[in-house]
Formats: sequence, C-alpha cells, structure tokens
Amino acid sequence: MNKLKLKVIRPVVMWFVHVLGSDIRDVQTGQVIGRALLVPWRGRILMLGCGMVLVPKFFPQPRLTFWKRELGFTRHPAPDYPHEPRA
Amino acid sequence: MSRVLNLILTHQRRPEVERLLRWWSHCSPPENILLAYGGTREEFEKLPGVPRLFIPDPRLRVKELARGKQSYGGVLRAAADWLAAPANAGFTHVYFVEFDHLPLVRDLTARLLQRLADERADVLAHHLYRVDGTSFEFYLYHIADPAFQSFWRRISVRQDKDVVLQMLGTGSFWTREAFLAMATHPEEISAYLEIYIPTLAHHLGYRVRDFADQNTCSRANPVPGITSIEIARARGGWTMHPMKTITGEFDAP
Repeated sequence: MNKLKLKVIRPVVMWFVHVLGSDIRDVQTGQVIGRALLVPWRGRILMLGCGMVLVPKFFPQPRLTFWKRELGFTRHPAPDYPHEPRA
Repeated sequence: MSRVLNLILTHQRRPEVERLLRWWSHCSPPENILLAYGGTREEFEKLPGVPRLFIPDPRLRVKELARGKQSYGGVLRAAADWLAAPANAGFTHVYFVEFDHLPLVRDLTARLLQRLADERADVLAHHLYRVDGTSFEFYLYHIADPAFQSFWRRISVRQDKDVVLQMLGTGSFWTREAFLAMATHPEEISAYLEIYIPTLAHHLGYRVRDFADQNTCSRANPVPGITSIEIARARGGWTMHPMKTITGEFDAP
C-alpha cells in the first residue's frame, strides 16, 4: 500500500496540485519563487506542493485599507555572517 | 603550508572501496585520505590497508534520514580523535564527503583552499540556506521539539540566536579549527545532520558560506541533464553528487 501511495497516488495528487496551484511571487522582488496550492483550512492556510524555502510576509500597503491585507512570501538572503569566534 | 584531510564516509564493500580510492588517487595522495566506515564490522575488516575508522554509531544507520534525524556525530567524533593524534597535527583543513560525492578535477584541493580564502570562510557547504521562520519541511519538523531552539540559544555566541541553517550533507570543506570545534561539541539534541552541522558551526562563531556556482552538479538528487561525469565537467563542476557507481576512469585534463 505504501509503495502504491508513493509510486502512483502521490504523483497524481501532486500533478493536480501543480495544475490548480498558482505561482508564488516574492513580496520584495516580484520574482516567481515557487508554485503551490493555498487552501484555507480551519483557521490556517495549507500550502500544498511547495518545496521551496519560503518566509511568509505581509505585503506593504501603499493605500491604507481596513478590510484587506495581502499575505505573501519572500526568501532569506544567502547566509553571509562574519567570523565571530568565542571570546 | 596547507594540508587537507579527505575524510570519506562509505558503507560499500571492498571492490567498490578500491575503485573509489583509485578514483580519489587522482586528486589526493593516499596519506591524505581517511575512510570512515558505516558498513558492517565484517566488511570493515576486509577493506584495503588505508587509514580507516569503523563507526558503530546507530544514529548513522537510521532508515529514514531526515525523519530519523540521522547524525554524523559518531563519524565526526572519531575523525576528531584521529586528527588529535600528534602524527596528524599537520592537517590544516578537512574535506568531508560521502562516497558518492565524487571529485572531478585533479586540483580540487587547491580550488577548495582558494575558494575558502576568497570567501574568508571557515566552512564551505553546498546548497546552504537560512531556514528559520520558513516553510522548509526539515525546519518545521525540528522546531516542533522545544529542546531544538533552546539548545541553540544556550550555546550560541551570535547576537541572533534563532538562525537555523541547512546544507546538503554530502560534501563540505572546513578549516581544522572549525571542524574540531564542531565535531567535539557535545551533541545534546537529536537533529538531522543537514541542519545540525551548519547551524552548530554558525552558532560557534564560524563563517559558513555556500559553494554557489559549485552547486550545479552537486545536488541531493540526480540533476536532469547532468547524466555523466563528462557532462558535469563540461558544466564546470569540481565535484558531482550523486554518483553511486564509478564506471569509467578518471582521465581528467
């Protein structure tokens, strides 16, 4: 059963997820950084099919609105931390 | 004068190990190679006469790598003990690779040293990402354990103690100091090596950098379009992963 799930059912489900999903754009750059199906579920958002490393982030709003906010995604910059040896 | 120890982790049988060592002989003198063996004790006894360590650590032999939080702790501690011997004090750097992470160029050591110097880094890793606060599945799995974050907060010398890094665990290059500090640090939490190793190095104060252009031919899964060593070389790869079976000869330019 596990093999069937992995070899047959999962790819079929993932194909539907890919078709029904939408491109994920970086909040900061507008670049496409992945593709996923976002489903509201019991007060959460399920992200289906996205294998990217994404940071959730609300979009800045040039016009103040009280009824709508946009939640998007971005990515961390590449790690570039200094050498900080233990004192 | 730099001297690089090539620490190769394998679990293969003698014929495959001999082929692997023959391949590596084009890139490194045999005295700069140390095998860490994760196979059976019986197979270990049959290995050719090169410096080698048997690693009995059960956490190396988990069935599911990420879910089982596979650890290289046993390998790292054994290698650190080996390096601590006076005869091995001359090694200034460690290149730690899995058996299927193959070198493709004869001057790999010189290139690694140059890249490390260019990056002013202590550690070079493939596919290095910052993953805290992200959707990354390994991070989400680990953060469910309260001990995970508290461990980093306790040991970190960094201002931001919540940073979590992820790397491809198949090949990384270290200064001796960074390697020994990471390898000998008490492993107080259970975490998957691809998260534990770079995050520990970072929180101990070492500068961890990505291999950048050298990620093209070294990935977790086979790269579409890069089906042979020749193609990987043509794409500028210094190394290639995964390449589980060595078929041809090295014959690099």
